[in-house]
Amino acid sequence: MEETQVIIRTEQLGRRYGAITALTSLDLVVEKGDWLTVMGHSGSGKSTLLNLLGGLDRPTEGTVQVAGQDLSGLSENELARFRREQIGIIFQQHHLIPYLTALENVMMAQYIHSVVDEVEARGALERVGMGHRLRNRPGELSGGEQQRVCIARAIINSPALLLADEPTGNLDGGATRMVLELLRELRAEEGFSIVLVTHNQEVAAWGDRTIQMDDGLVIRDDLVGGTPA
Amino acid sequence: MIMKRIQWIIRVVMASLRFRTGRSLLLLAVIAMASSLAVALGMVTVSMERRISDEVRKYGANLLLLPESGRMDLGSGALAFGTLAEPAWLDATAVERALAGQGGRIRGYSLHLREPLLSGRVELPVEGVRFDQIRRMLPWWEPVGRWPAVESEVVIGADLARRLSLKAGDRIDLTGSAGVTAPMTVAGVVRTGGDEDRLLFIDLSRLQALSGLEGRVSQVRVLADARSGLLPLTAAALESALPGARAREVRQVAQTSATLLKKVQLLMILVTLVVLAASGASVTGTMSTTVLERGREIGLIKAMGATRLGTVLLFATEACLLGVTGGLAGCGAGVVLAEAVSRSVFSVSTEFTPLALPLAVTVGLLIALAGSVGPMLSVYRLDPVKSLRGE
Repeated sequence: MEETQVIIRTEQLGRRYGAITALTSLDLVVEKGDWLTVMGHSGSGKSTLLNLLGGLDRPTEGTVQVAGQDLSGLSENELARFRREQIGIIFQQHHLIPYLTALENVMMAQYIHSVVDEVEARGALERVGMGHRLRNRPGELSGGEQQRVCIARAIINSPALLLADEPTGNLDGGATRMVLELLRELRAEEGFSIVLVTHNQEVAAWGDRTIQMDDGLVIRDDLVGGTPA
Repeated sequence: MIMKRIQWIIRVVMASLRFRTGRSLLLLAVIAMASSLAVALGMVTVSMERRISDEVRKYGANLLLLPESGRMDLGSGALAFGTLAEPAWLDATAVERALAGQGGRIRGYSLHLREPLLSGRVELPVEGVRFDQIRRMLPWWEPVGRWPAVESEVVIGADLARRLSLKAGDRIDLTGSAGVTAPMTVAGVVRTGGDEDRLLFIDLSRLQALSGLEGRVSQVRVLADARSGLLPLTAAALESALPGARAREVRQVAQTSATLLKKVQLLMILVTLVVLAASGASVTGTMSTTVLERGREIGLIKAMGATRLGTVLLFATEACLLGVTGGLAGCGAGVVLAEAVSRSVFSVSTEFTPLALPLAVTVGLLIALAGSVGPMLSVYRLDPVKSLRGE
């Protein structure tokens, strides 16, 4: 596979916390624009992998390359720069800043990246169907609405890779489907890649490929193909 | 772009402070209290200095300018007959020029010439003065009668008046060494409780003329600024400007006031330091709690790509905004407090000094920033992964 087509490449990637091994010898290649779903039970190493891919943690073994950058050798500041330029993150618990409005939460990501642009931020919220809730604080929004604000915040800086940690874990069926459809649409428009962590088989079916993890190892790697009905 | 970023930071910080209104108000109150105390203590110190200066002023002069007389010891070895001193005077014009050269350090002065005059065959101790200077330097002198309005009027000390059976409105003829007799009228009788009660005060130029000592004075009483060790400097400067003169501090007055000022200032500095330390500790406690509560938010900001310093900057801006606002509020409160303390304790009104404003803001900023050092270190070190997990 040509290197320019690769968004993620890990070689013998491992992470230990003292005596505990969270991730072992992971060799993984993900193509640009792909939607990779990571499944596994708690403690299987999913979140550790996500943190390593997002430059939030450093491997103790092997290498990890994202968007052509070897993250193992980057300094703290270089990792921060990598995160703001290449990564968008969506969390299960949303993690919106409680005292900022939906619009301001998106603008905060702009501020961290470069400079705030209210028009652009409003556009991002309108794209995720939140144009009518710009001035509402997170406490005034439903779970699904908060997650849509998170998505707008994650895509506002045009990341190369979107990391989603259980993004539908706290949502009901309708909201889950809405969020996943939104991610699919945005991926088609923006061309970013997605790595999504979930416990849910139905959610996993929305991706192009699923890896199953257990005890820090990838025990299964499936190409899903197609879209659920 | 920088302006946009600054505006954004302020917008976020304001939103954050509004969101935690109670805690923000508590922090503001602590900072305002500390800066108001610093301002109040500073203003009270200034007022007390003025008050003590006024007290000194009540005593009269704190420097004496005397002529350097020619002295010769008579005798040899164990056989000493005493000291022969030539009478000496100062040139009034030169003295006034030298005093004018000291600028604002000199708050007032009076020229004196002590020469005896005859009243009939009785020699009287007479002091020539300018009555306008005496009234300024010794405002508490209240002669029975009135102050002289013309050169031919005198003020007489109460003891001397009693000895000579004189009262306001009586006439007295005075004869000088030049043999000229001048008819004078007693305008008032003064009682001070001091040596002055035994003296006769007449117009300086009249005494100079009667004694043949035109333009001469034997003593100059100077009220100089006694703050911050200025007095010895002024004395030295006057001696330098007047080669034939000796400047002596009126030590009892000057040293007492300077010592009192130093003690009061030391006490106030100590109180201020204790209050500042207590306020700083209070800010640290409140800010630490805030940082603990906002751990996830800090982790999120870092996870989105903010550098450690960039994240700390947000909190530092918050601390600065609190410091400046608290300082401004403290300035207003400090002025009110200073006035209340000065009026009730020292019976003197405070005078607003423009320095109070930068002092209050600086104190507010220092407390807010110093108190936030520990919490900001926590922000700097915080691991985004752990904080987002809620650890």
